[in-house]
Amino acid sequence: MIENWFLYLGFAAALLAVGLYALLTMRNVIKLFIGIEVVSKAVSLVLVGTGFARNHILLAQSLVITFIVVEVSLVATALALIINIYKKTGSLDVRKLTKLRG
Amino acid sequence: MIGQILLLSGLVLFSILAVLAKDLIKSAIGLALASLFLGIIFFRMGAPYAGVFEISVVAGLITVLFMLTIALTKTGGDVRESKTATLVFPVFFILAGLIDIFVMKGLLPKLQVLQSGPEAGTFAEILWKQRTFDLVGQLAVILAGVFAVLALFRKKDNHD
Amino acid sequence: MIFLYIGLPLLVAALLPLVGKISKRFLPDLLANGVFLTLLVLAVTSGRRLIGAGPVLQQFRWMGEDTGIALAVDGFSLFMLMTIALVTLCVGLYSINYMEHYGSKSVYYALLLMMMTGMNGLVLAADLFQVYLFLEVAAIASYALVAYGLEYDELEASFKYLMLSVVASAAVLISIAVIFGMTGSVGFAAVAEGLRGLDSRVAVGFCSALFIFGFGLKAALVPFHAWLPDAHPSAPAPISAILSGLLIKVSGVYALTRIFFNVFGLTPALSEVLMWTGMVSIVVAAMLAVGQPDMKRMLAYSSISQVGYIVLGIGLGTPLGVAGGLFHLFNHAVAKGLLFLNSGAVQQATGTRDLDQMGGLAKRMPLTAGTSIVGSLSITGVPPLAGFWSKLLIIIALVQARQGTLAVLAVLASVVTLWYYLILQRKAFFGKLEERWKDVKEAPFWMSAATVILALVAIGVGIWFAVMIRTWIQPASDALSQGVQAALSTRGF
Repeated sequence: MIENWFLYLGFAAALLAVGLYALLTMRNVIKLFIGIEVVSKAVSLVLVGTGFARNHILLAQSLVITFIVVEVSLVATALALIINIYKKTGSLDVRKLTKLRG
Repeated sequence: MIGQILLLSGLVLFSILAVLAKDLIKSAIGLALASLFLGIIFFRMGAPYAGVFEISVVAGLITVLFMLTIALTKTGGDVRESKTATLVFPVFFILAGLIDIFVMKGLLPKLQVLQSGPEAGTFAEILWKQRTFDLVGQLAVILAGVFAVLALFRKKDNHD
Repeated sequence: MIFLYIGLPLLVAALLPLVGKISKRFLPDLLANGVFLTLLVLAVTSGRRLIGAGPVLQQFRWMGEDTGIALAVDGFSLFMLMTIALVTLCVGLYSINYMEHYGSKSVYYALLLMMMTGMNGLVLAADLFQVYLFLEVAAIASYALVAYGLEYDELEASFKYLMLSVVASAAVLISIAVIFGMTGSVGFAAVAEGLRGLDSRVAVGFCSALFIFGFGLKAALVPFHAWLPDAHPSAPAPISAILSGLLIKVSGVYALTRIFFNVFGLTPALSEVLMWTGMVSIVVAAMLAVGQPDMKRMLAYSSISQVGYIVLGIGLGTPLGVAGGLFHLFNHAVAKGLLFLNSGAVQQATGTRDLDQMGGLAKRMPLTAGTSIVGSLSITGVPPLAGFWSKLLIIIALVQARQGTLAVLAVLASVVTLWYYLILQRKAFFGKLEERWKDVKEAPFWMSAATVILALVAIGVGIWFAVMIRTWIQPASDALSQGVQAALSTRGF
């Protein structure tokens, strides 16, 4: 069963890499959010894959369903922020968001 | 097994498309297709509820939200992504893939996992009886999201 | 009725938008602050009786039937609940005046109540996944609250905060999934049980690293702190107060502590990592705080620094160290909440956060200045204020554990802390009263009331520190010192 687990973990890691790449290199804020979505898919895959490999598929499913609900809330909030940013600045370029230095 | 590997590859492929596509609409569609693949993968793993949720919510609802945002933020001059990012990606991906396989092979013997017996109960029982607090949490997170959107889109009637 | 801590704010939050249609200001003010006050009183009175005999697992009964919700409370969670209720109450009172011109007060209070629901839920959860879930509830509320004024700064800060925070949450969830894979469960007890039977140091180390990254980012530990100096200053003042005072501690420090102490068990390696991370935070943030011209930015860096102290104390692992860390958590929540609230009063009166433009405000805003001094001295660790005792405990604990270098560094950092707080006080409140501030008025009633309450708490706890330690800190510290046992015992988690 472990081999199964590792198959899913492996692909999830690849997805994670893609998502992180988007977060690091993309300039359009909407693209950044697509990166986050890809990362979320990776996490869902890890959860369900783990449940499958452990014969705990039912528990994994309830966890993933809750996680998807959280994801929706998050996406709604983030997109609301993005729309507001667009209304304020007229641009979706993350390079323009450099007023604060951190 | 082969089927799963093909589906998983499709998932990764469409995610890459979603990230690298120049047109935002194509990106959103790529994301939706990736979700579709993931949903089918879930079905084949014996997780039909997760599959349904993935397809209807992520491929459906979230894609609609993305489309809405894209429509509301049509810029005159679109943000041009750096060309180097698109070109460097294959190199990055192959590198990441190699590290991935290497780490997985290395971890395979090292990881100890508890044996587990069969799972008790039906899905409904587990969701409603065991994870009831999760449902409270879901309600809370939905409310938080609703209020967040209400707050962010409110009309400001008093001005400073 | 432990469920009240989650159910009450949730219910009132759900009702507030409807209430807001009837009464724009009065009823939302009343209801929200009523909830905060109720929970504070509840925590202080009946809560202590409840856990008098040890941790309690309570099944929530709805209409006489057992639901599947079983909530566990022990000394540590009760301590957090009390702190959360106290600071949120003061923030709520302050908001009665401050949020007047922001609009939609009912939605604001609804979000504040949701943040409290999330924080309380996190503290009461006995399950790794639920910790994540309620953490997200509070986080989503906080994203909207940081951006509440819809000005450019707030939006940008909120967006960056959101991006980083989501990555951190993902890391936490992946770690939870791996633990799920190893042990077949996500509940504290089951995981603790499972991990004892396995020899899986690599995997536990990997998960611990992910947790430190994820929760460390939420707690703004160096090097994951970059979002805080933008997010906390840009947010409206009461939100800065609740973020710095509560959220980074509940979603960062509490979660990390609970999992590392009661589920994984604190190993020497983990202890080292935590202590050094704490120390780096203390020193780096203190240095960065010194040159800041913006009042709230200085306070933000100070928060990072003080959280370092908390993590240092807790990371030490000895009962004294843990007690010191927890006590400092409370003191910082009170004092930093106070300071951020005051910064809002100053910003509202003068229209600026730039320290160089202020001066001599004490003459026109004596209450604000007075409470500011109390807050600053408490954080710096000047006797007889509360912060002195907590810092002293941490330093004594370090010396006792033969960590001499860390103790010395902690003391030196305290001196730097004193330095930049004196700069803040001098520039803002003392010195010559600038011409243009001639007509500023003291802060409105509720704003002053909130800060006075917090200042009195800081003074009171400083004087009666022994009582504070005995009744609140000791049970919390004991609950943690029991380590993995607490998770495995049948009465507790």
